[in-house]
Amino acid sequence: MDKNKHLLFWSSIAALIMLVFAALSESFWKDWQQIQKSARADGSSIDVHLRQLVIPELNTTDRCVTCHVSMAPGEQSTTGNRALVAHKNVVHDPSVFGCTICHAGQGQATKKEDAHGLAEFWPEPMLPLQASYAGCGRCHTPLAIPSSTVLAKGKTLFERYDCLACHRMDGRGATIRPDGGGMEGPDLSKVGIKGYDIGWYEKHAQKHQQAESEPWKNSFGSIPEVDQKDINVFLATCVAAPKLVEAKALFNSLGCLGCHKVSGVGGDAGTDLSRSGYKDPGQLDFSHIPGAHTLSNWLAEHFRSPGALVAGSQMPAMGLNEEQIQLLTIYVLSLRRKDIPSSFLPKDRARAMQFGEREFTKDGATLYGTFCAACHGQKGQGVRYPGTQSFPAISSPEFLSLASDEFLTETIRQGRAGRLMPGWDKSSGLKADEIKAIVTYLRQLGGNTNYNVETTPARWVKADANLGAKLYSASCSGCHGAKGQGGEGPALNNKTFLNTATDTFLLQTISKGRPNTPMAAFEQASPVRPALSQKEIESIIAHIRTWKGE
Amino acid sequence: MTSTPEPNNNVPSRLDPEPMPRRDFLGLSALFAAGSTLFFALLGMLRLPKTAVLSSPTKKFPVVLPETLAPGEAFIPAGRAVALFKDEKGVHAISTTCTHLGCVVKANNEGFECPCHGSRFAKDGSVTKGPAPQPLPWLQVSHNGDKWVVDESTTVPKGTNAT
Amino acid sequence: MSTTPNQANSGLAQILKNLQALPEQLRNATFRSGKPNTDRTRSTFVFGNLFLHLHSVRTHLWSLRWTTTMGLGIATTAAFLITLVTGILLMFYYKPYPDVAYQSIKDIYFVVPTGQFIRNIHRWAANVMVVTVILHMARAFYTAAYRAPREFNWLLGIGLLAITLGLSFTGYLLPWDQLAYWAITIGANIAQSPRELTDALGITKYFDPGGLIRLILLGSDTVGAEALIRFYLLHIMLLPLALGMLMGVHFWRIRKDGGLARPVDAEARLGNLPTTSYPVFSQAPTKTYQLAAIVKGKTAVVGRAPEATVPSMPHLFYAELAVLMFTIFICVALALISDAPLKELANPSVPENPAKAPWYFLGLQELVSFSAFMGGIGVPTIVMAGLGLIPFLDRETNGTGEWFGGTGGKKLVAWSIVFGLAAPLLIESFAIHFGWIREWFPKTPQLIITFINPATILTLVYALYSVYLVKSYKSTRAGALGLFTCFLCGFLVLTIIGTYFRGPNWTFYWSMSDWPKH
Repeated sequence: MDKNKHLLFWSSIAALIMLVFAALSESFWKDWQQIQKSARADGSSIDVHLRQLVIPELNTTDRCVTCHVSMAPGEQSTTGNRALVAHKNVVHDPSVFGCTICHAGQGQATKKEDAHGLAEFWPEPMLPLQASYAGCGRCHTPLAIPSSTVLAKGKTLFERYDCLACHRMDGRGATIRPDGGGMEGPDLSKVGIKGYDIGWYEKHAQKHQQAESEPWKNSFGSIPEVDQKDINVFLATCVAAPKLVEAKALFNSLGCLGCHKVSGVGGDAGTDLSRSGYKDPGQLDFSHIPGAHTLSNWLAEHFRSPGALVAGSQMPAMGLNEEQIQLLTIYVLSLRRKDIPSSFLPKDRARAMQFGEREFTKDGATLYGTFCAACHGQKGQGVRYPGTQSFPAISSPEFLSLASDEFLTETIRQGRAGRLMPGWDKSSGLKADEIKAIVTYLRQLGGNTNYNVETTPARWVKADANLGAKLYSASCSGCHGAKGQGGEGPALNNKTFLNTATDTFLLQTISKGRPNTPMAAFEQASPVRPALSQKEIESIIAHIRTWKGE
Repeated sequence: MTSTPEPNNNVPSRLDPEPMPRRDFLGLSALFAAGSTLFFALLGMLRLPKTAVLSSPTKKFPVVLPETLAPGEAFIPAGRAVALFKDEKGVHAISTTCTHLGCVVKANNEGFECPCHGSRFAKDGSVTKGPAPQPLPWLQVSHNGDKWVVDESTTVPKGTNAT
Repeated sequence: MSTTPNQANSGLAQILKNLQALPEQLRNATFRSGKPNTDRTRSTFVFGNLFLHLHSVRTHLWSLRWTTTMGLGIATTAAFLITLVTGILLMFYYKPYPDVAYQSIKDIYFVVPTGQFIRNIHRWAANVMVVTVILHMARAFYTAAYRAPREFNWLLGIGLLAITLGLSFTGYLLPWDQLAYWAITIGANIAQSPRELTDALGITKYFDPGGLIRLILLGSDTVGAEALIRFYLLHIMLLPLALGMLMGVHFWRIRKDGGLARPVDAEARLGNLPTTSYPVFSQAPTKTYQLAAIVKGKTAVVGRAPEATVPSMPHLFYAELAVLMFTIFICVALALISDAPLKELANPSVPENPAKAPWYFLGLQELVSFSAFMGGIGVPTIVMAGLGLIPFLDRETNGTGEWFGGTGGKKLVAWSIVFGLAAPLLIESFAIHFGWIREWFPKTPQLIITFINPATILTLVYALYSVYLVKSYKSTRAGALGLFTCFLCGFLVLTIIGTYFRGPNWTFYWSMSDWPKH
């Protein structure tokens, strides 16, 4: 029976060798062991063992500090391997919050690929380093963020008035002091969190007057009230996450909410973005995307050409530059809200949830940027994306002089039937004062053009509606529908429009057309039809007025 | 070997020193008592694995439908296997649990499709393809203020709309 | 009480002496007989040991040939022992509660020393066990070892196969990942599938065995905490206990049924016996047994002497130990090569697409994709019943103990392989290419689809083929050979189709690279 003895011998030896190999790799060949062995704290080596931060309230176990030892509380002095760099100083103490709550990834893991979440079947990989601030979105909702232009203005003013002479802001400033000493004023990087002193200017001015020597004497000068306001807007955004604020400001300038909803505010044409930072990269198609299979890469590529990644996507390519794409990626990644225990609920999110505070500032420019700019253009000039409806210009003086505030307000409130323009006061959640601010801003865009009530009463046309009916079906019904129900052009037979559009508005629109849209100027002849006289146009208006609105 | 002698039932043999008595009332009733007690205990034990009431979440739940819900578009309340539809006839709810093997079906333009074994259902829940033995059931919907209340435990005939 | 110092001295000296003798005494008390170096002490070594005495004292040389059993039964036992040991180790850390269960597996993976390795071995040993138990059954079948007097052991074997599959299936839920959740949802609904029949008959309201089984299995109407603890209980307690008990009877029966099946002329086939073995029974049949009086039949050994035997200790035990170590080697090697999978945390609102059960259930899943009841319960019951009936229908004797023995032999098996592979391939390609009744006549009642679908047609084709064999060879064994071969081939084809050629929505794809991305 030697065969059996041979089998027994060789099987046992082979199994033994493999067990020894397993034991060695288990006990000595782990990456984190190598890292910790190479680490030095105050010149001496450190204990080699698994380290972790456990936060039971957040249900996290973060073993990131097994490799990133120096990021554990109290271990900043540990140096050595590339992984051993101290965490930069942040508001949140890692010993209270752990790592994955902000950075995502797989906290329980002790191997690099698994921990960074780049492994298969881990839906929530680590945020890329350049998008780290997106992690704030897990708990925070930065409030009152203006559009990029408004933000940039406040920031520029903050620098132009040399606030950085005394104050620190995001690691800059408070260095150039005549006496070479340290900072005089407080660090303003986080001033938006606790709230800044609303009377700061008066107090500064008072000190400046009383001062006899540097720095108060010469380093402070008077600031006009308009600029103070812009600086205040900027200060409110200082929440120690400048990149995220910048990203959100861009989001609030490009009009994304015109089609998308975030936390219940925005249009319905696109997908709700409220949790789009949580998309599982394992569920996305990466076949046309170079580089790593991460959500941020997918999002960036998606902004470059939405239609190529999502079949049937209505979203046009917005023609963004790389910096904008990077910022928007950060913002969308930050939309990763999760339920957190109330003891960890930050103030901003509570304010947004409980008191309905807005995530955007309520000045006209920001509101226009947030809701309108994507379709009507940054300056209200109207836009036509390939393959979409054309969006009319709304800031031309010709249009604004004809459109009453009521017409504008009602159109914004109720939307335009048959168009992508949604009704903004219903499901999209704009408030009356916000709509008013938008209308006011529109008039600014159009060079402060006001609607002239005196010269043009609302209804004055008296003409032959029967003739109008014939002309309408010949010239207008192709786009606006036989009964004004709309088609390629907007519906005319709707209550909001019939109630608020004045006769003059109709007359001018028909005769002069709407620039940047298929609506032609009918007072001029074209190869396919003769010009319409004013009388004929009036008869069309009379015909339109016979409708009751559906 | 000699031939086997005729067995004598009255005399104890070496092979069968203690023959079983034909009528042992005491022994039989003792065995019967033990048997029926154990049987009754078994019945009691069999009751245990089924709770008197299931611990599953409430089957009735309210839903607020978005205003912009287009006719024919499915609205899936978070965490529920139900699709709600709104059209001119009213609101109806269809269960999205596949009648085949319980996977959650996905709503698409034609109706529903099941990822597990490829069953397809039309918009009204009827089976168009695959192994599903039953159409997707319509669930009871009632109107309550601005909310619609869906009752997952009550099915209604196909075509029943709540207004 | 007065003792002389001398007495005390001798008492203490005695204790000292006894202490010195302790190791030997302990050995004697434990093993009774001395070193197993003579045939007598080897015998006492076996029957003086609770664990070894399931073996007979002497083993027939035919049983020790590698080709007789290929060690498959022992390998199955070895795999079970490995899962038992590793399973107990895993229980130190596993917490049977939703979500927490997933995290505990992650902890086993990442921070429990050797945890990942142990889990890999557990998983691979379970797979090895499924493979070997099926092959073991095939061995028993093809060597006609199920025949009298081993019919009951064949039935026990079928029970053991079912429990093995049950253990695999219940273990599948425990990690609480997507794979687990949806495999169990599907499994529990298969248990509910008698409803397909009762619904069609309209009697579900009064008689609902499917719903009851599912409810008892899950403890709720969805897969949740109750289901997890129930599956845990089944996996670590009820099924292993049942398996252990049946295994005990199975082994004991091997001995009681006269050892492993062997041909009548086994001794002649073995050729010249080795010189180390010497006749026992024919030279020493003088032993009298007190219990001989109540043993049926003739006296223990009369006339014919099974001379080609060797002492089980050590010959059989070397063989068994060798297979055990070889199985350990295989499991350890597989565990080092490939990690046990763990997918995303279970998400009750989004099924995996495709949601695939472990490979050995994919054949069943393929059947289920035609009809839940027939595929999940009907056909498996018919197969199980057929397997159970075989030893009672086949009362022939020729070819017992020989590979592919009996009427028909190898040639019949070869043809049956061709037929057994071709039939499911043809039926499947027809169904994949042309669809099935519902696609042609959407109004077809469910009852028709339940009873006429690829799964039932395949079963019917196999059954007819077997009946044809019985008739043309005039032998039940021929029919059984054909049927069993077909059964294995069908299992193979369906499993391969289910594993490699089914993609999202259970649609047929030639390769995984053709799967649509979402």
